[in-house]
Amino acid sequence: MLGLGIESTAHTFSCAIIEKKGNNGKILSDIRKIYRPADGEGIHPREASRHHIENSSIVLSECLKKANITIKDLDIVSYAAGPGLGPCLRVGAVVARSLSSFYKIPIYPVNHAIGHIELGKLLTGATNPLVLLVSGGHTMLLAFLNKQWRVFGETLDITLGQLLDQFGRSIGFASPCGKNIEELASTSSNYVTLPYSVKGNDVSFSGLLSATKSVAKKSKTDACYSLQETAFAMISETVERALSFTRKKELMIVGGVAANKRLSEMLQNVCKRHGCKFYVVPIQYAGDCGSQICWTGLLESKVKQGTLLKDTFVKQSWRLDSVIVDY
Amino acid sequence: MKLLKKGAEADLYQTKWQNSKAILKIRKIKNYRNSLLDLKIRKQRTIKECQMISFVKSFGIPTPLIYFVNLKTTSIMMQEIPGTPVHDLPESKIVELSKDIGKLVGTLHKNGVMHGDLTTSNFILFKKTVFVIDFGLSQNTIKSEDHAVDLRLIKEILNSAHAKIMLSSWENFLHGYKSIVGSAYYAKITKLVSDIESRGRYAEVV
Repeated sequence: MLGLGIESTAHTFSCAIIEKKGNNGKILSDIRKIYRPADGEGIHPREASRHHIENSSIVLSECLKKANITIKDLDIVSYAAGPGLGPCLRVGAVVARSLSSFYKIPIYPVNHAIGHIELGKLLTGATNPLVLLVSGGHTMLLAFLNKQWRVFGETLDITLGQLLDQFGRSIGFASPCGKNIEELASTSSNYVTLPYSVKGNDVSFSGLLSATKSVAKKSKTDACYSLQETAFAMISETVERALSFTRKKELMIVGGVAANKRLSEMLQNVCKRHGCKFYVVPIQYAGDCGSQICWTGLLESKVKQGTLLKDTFVKQSWRLDSVIVDY
Repeated sequence: MKLLKKGAEADLYQTKWQNSKAILKIRKIKNYRNSLLDLKIRKQRTIKECQMISFVKSFGIPTPLIYFVNLKTTSIMMQEIPGTPVHDLPESKIVELSKDIGKLVGTLHKNGVMHGDLTTSNFILFKKTVFVIDFGLSQNTIKSEDHAVDLRLIKEILNSAHAKIMLSSWENFLHGYKSIVGSAYYAKITKLVSDIESRGRYAEVV
């Protein structure tokens, strides 16, 4: 079975083709174009959607070419219906609808966050993990129970990705800033005390962001180092709490911030302490990509018919714990 | 000394103190954390936990007795409560006890204490009495926003770990809570809980 997945929730426009045989999926192609805002600035939704429109046909044709198939070979097409930026979501949805109606291919709207988790499970082989989803849009601890992903802890304000990006931009980096911060942090070991805010299984980063900005006035390197140490220690603590509460024996980390080595290192240590297996999604599939949408669409197609065109919505606010998963 | 449980932030050992059974709770060094930050967290929480466990007794909250505190090893020697964590009880029992838990939390809040880690593992049923443990994240606070954070946490736990009985146990919890803090404060807090939830990522915005 061949599926096409279209991702356009934020800065990435991506198309991917996956071949599904039984429970196995093989990624035949995954092409992306990423919108880059100017240094020190964030994503402008209108500009990002313009970028997606301009690049959509190039990405799609490159994706088909690399997979060596034609549109007529496709069995289903899926697109990210939310959560994300409205103007950007619409681009992916329009492309998917056009293909679906012209070539009569069944269409599947997919939750972007579930996509991160399902692709992670496919690529790492985790079976029943506690999931840490850390990206620009999410900071959540999840476990699967009774047909739904349940939230065991989450951020009460901004996400880990936003924390890193907003701080990075304030010192002049270009978004996404995680990598620059990680590099600068590795040159310091001088810890400056910053607010550490864990509320049960939840975290709050907004106070930490303001405090780190004022530390950066004295030393950018110390600020980067202390920010990473504090924020990641907070995440690690909530992971430990959730592990000991749920008694899960697997931890899987997915989302853009999964690419950070210091975070992985800390969580690996946590897993060792709790005798649990540690899975990180491979770096090239940590960030937003068409594969996550494509694979989830293929899984959905096991139990559902394609959606009617008139119901192919986009939804900016669509929490993953409201999705019923019955495949 | 027998290792009972490797918890999230501390290890629990079963041991003896002056011939009675005791629990030794050690907050061990976590190598993955920056050492300054690590020491600060371990010390602060050890101190807070013993102060609070003793303080809340003064208004009738059942907690273990503190026998000895060692700040160098960030460890606490305390009485063993040989009961069962509410988390592990049958679902019907959890629903029933939710009312008592609501009353306990109401009493804490009424006396200006936020527990900070309200999970069903932190309530132990022993001979018909529910004991409260694990005050490491507690705070002395009369701010209603802080109290609302407490309620939101237990709601999240019921919703995730006890999904099947969520509605009935949450209702019982609120019933018990209201009976202690009164209708006016109850209304204020539940409103704040909705406020906090609506600030969550991608919450349904009207």
